[in-house]
Amino acid sequence: MENVFNNQDKLVHDLKRLFLDPKNFNDFQIEIKNRNDLPSTIFYCHRGILSFRSEYFNALLRSKMKEYQEGKVIFNDISSQTMKNILEYIYTGKIEINEENALETLINSKKLCFEEELIKFISEYIIKL
Amino acid sequence: MSRKMILRVPKFQEPKRMEKSEAQRLWLLLKDAIVEVQHMNASTLSFEELYRSSYSLVIAKRGDILYTGLEEVNNHHTKNLLDKIAQAVDERFLIELNSQWQQYKLQQIMIHDILMYLDRMYVKEPQLKVFDLGMFKWKQNVLIHSQINDRLVRMLLGLIHMERNGEVIDGALMKSLIQMYVDVSLKEKETYKQEFEERFLLATSHFYKSESNLFITNNSCGAYLKKVEIRLIEEEARIKQYLDESTGPKLIKACEDELIANHMQTMIEMETGCRTMIQNDRFNELKLMYRLFQRVENGLVHLKNEFAGYVRNEGHKIVNQPENLKDPNALITSLIEIRNRFEKTLSQSFANNRDFINSVNTAFESFLNENDKLSESLALFIDKKLRGGFKDSNDQEIDVIMNKVILLFRFLSDKDVFKKFYEHYLAKRLLSGRSFSEDLERTMISKFKQECGNQFTSKMEGMFTDMRLSKDALDGFKNYLQTSVEMGKLPKIDMSVRVLTQGFWPTFPPHSCTLPPLLSQYCDLFTKYYCHAHTGRRIIWQTNIGTAEVTFRLPKKTHVLALSTYQMLIMLLFNDAEKLSLKQMAAGTSISFMDIQRSVKPLYSGKYKVLKRTPAVEKSKELSENDIFELNLNLKCKLHRIKFAATSQTDSEPERQHTRQRVDEDRKIEIDAAIVRIMKSRKALIHNDLIVECTKQLSSRFVPQTSMIKKRIENLIEREYLERFPDDRRRYRYLA
Repeated sequence: MENVFNNQDKLVHDLKRLFLDPKNFNDFQIEIKNRNDLPSTIFYCHRGILSFRSEYFNALLRSKMKEYQEGKVIFNDISSQTMKNILEYIYTGKIEINEENALETLINSKKLCFEEELIKFISEYIIKL
Repeated sequence: MSRKMILRVPKFQEPKRMEKSEAQRLWLLLKDAIVEVQHMNASTLSFEELYRSSYSLVIAKRGDILYTGLEEVNNHHTKNLLDKIAQAVDERFLIELNSQWQQYKLQQIMIHDILMYLDRMYVKEPQLKVFDLGMFKWKQNVLIHSQINDRLVRMLLGLIHMERNGEVIDGALMKSLIQMYVDVSLKEKETYKQEFEERFLLATSHFYKSESNLFITNNSCGAYLKKVEIRLIEEEARIKQYLDESTGPKLIKACEDELIANHMQTMIEMETGCRTMIQNDRFNELKLMYRLFQRVENGLVHLKNEFAGYVRNEGHKIVNQPENLKDPNALITSLIEIRNRFEKTLSQSFANNRDFINSVNTAFESFLNENDKLSESLALFIDKKLRGGFKDSNDQEIDVIMNKVILLFRFLSDKDVFKKFYEHYLAKRLLSGRSFSEDLERTMISKFKQECGNQFTSKMEGMFTDMRLSKDALDGFKNYLQTSVEMGKLPKIDMSVRVLTQGFWPTFPPHSCTLPPLLSQYCDLFTKYYCHAHTGRRIIWQTNIGTAEVTFRLPKKTHVLALSTYQMLIMLLFNDAEKLSLKQMAAGTSISFMDIQRSVKPLYSGKYKVLKRTPAVEKSKELSENDIFELNLNLKCKLHRIKFAATSQTDSEPERQHTRQRVDEDRKIEIDAAIVRIMKSRKALIHNDLIVECTKQLSSRFVPQTSMIKKRIENLIEREYLERFPDDRRRYRYLA
């Protein structure tokens, strides 16, 4: 349509930058405990985006428990690489699966209650390996 | 890519079989948390930790521990709440119940959130979802408990009753408590319907039954209608404010039944009811009644029948009123007036409802055809208007009246009778030059044409054509006279002739008379001229509808008398005689005695008397053959020209009879044509079917009598258009 300007590609690009930048007006942190006493990895996120893109985060924030009060959730059963991958999906709707991250992504997608389509996609990917 | 599988073993593999003690530990952790939630101390708990615990239990296939545990905790909690709530007294009860319920709902959402993984992956039908389980426990242990349910419903209904009586109640509290019944219903709001709605509707019916009975006996119908409307608005608001929307239609139905349906008959019949409203044109009250009756089954039928009945009754009165029977103008004027009045009621009160309009029309049809007066009266009404009655009206008003005429005309079942009368009066208007405006005449005719088609008006239009052609013919005749040899021998008179095509014009009853020689010679000349110009035509003179101007020489003064042809003939007799009896007049002119009577009357009994009776007798006395008249030489009149009415404006009874007869003759032809048309296409038909078809075909023009159709069938059989089947005498066959 000639009266519509579409720059959604840029939007996706900007959203991707959004969760990687610590100065992004964030209001919620995701802390990943690394093994071997390495320092934690912290992702700077946005309650609005998290709660609208994931049932899990929606429930977490809605319950107004400790995480809501502190503005932070701590995961100790997920690698920072996988978390980053999943956050990228939350922010941009796109995720890249490879042999290394497939299984962990699948397990955490299930736990975080992502949509069936994504879970099916990863499962089929794993079966084909 | 290497062919070898290098799927990395993840750090967090699916847990191995979980030890029972580990499962127990996780459950206890969750249980403590749930209890904290139930005591509204959730803000220090870690959601992720609790979620992960429930998640771990489920993927370790220990969901059962969690689910049964949850059921127990809920059970225990709700039972505790029951005691707490039941202890509250009076108004505290509702407040306590509501606040506990609000908290409980929030807790259940939180518990659901924590146990979301359980809810999604473990719970299978017929198990209840985590949140529904919470609702169910509340319902089972609190809401429908004997200490709560009845007390609650009674208090809610009591509050609603108070509100209906004008007190202010806490709508938000009502909404929350009533919504609770909906929330705890697992499917199709069954708890709400069983425990609350049913009793609420019953209480509503009770309330409005007694209120409406009391109110309607102590107030006018109008006041009652207003009350009902307000009540319905209030109940609509109530639905929005605190009832479940599914109750809406049921509540409104219950109210409508009690407030409207049960009192419909009363509202129609009571002294201030529907009848009075219609009689007194109370448009607003009727409008309200219409709106309210519309809501209940058959409501409008009642109202419509009442209205149509009133219309029929009023119409019946008008068409049978003695003054109206004598005065066609008054009759039609009153009919137009009530038509206008009812149209106003229809549009202002009854939203121009099609059914209402139709039943009013049916009523009009029925009373307009109650007697056979109307066709003629309507024709006379228009006649009066077109003779000058429209003089003071503007175009728009004229159009309105004409349309009303058409409207009444539409209801006539014998349109052919009307047509005959209309043609008759039109002919008279044209021939006597009394039509007020040719444009208006044509407008009126075009309206009939629109209504009934060409055939209906072709004769009327023919009359106008004749009038125009006559003028041409007369001009031609005048030229002819100037060139004619014979002309020199004759004294000049100014003669005007109208040539009327037979068939277009009503046939006037044939009358003969002897014209004076001079006039007779002129007539012959015209005949000669006209038949020469139009070969094959024959002229028949209709002297009885002509007019003449005669010079009347008195000793001191001369007048011009405008007379009918007959009157002229009578007056001319006095050139040779001083006194004449009526008998002598008849002999001298060959006019029938009846016409002599009618012609003489205006001459001696009007304002200006050119004849006097000798000896003088009272006016009113009937004329007899031997009455003697002489010229009134003492006539005193300032006018030079004196006009005399030829005949009375309305027709005499014999003329009317004559018109009727002609209608009957025409009907025979129409019926014959219809029968032949039908039989030609159907070939064979049973008697009754033929009668029905025939009546149907003719109904746009008139309603034929069955006996007449029978006679025509017999006639057609005699004339060998039809024959009876030999084996079945009731069937006819068409003979080509």
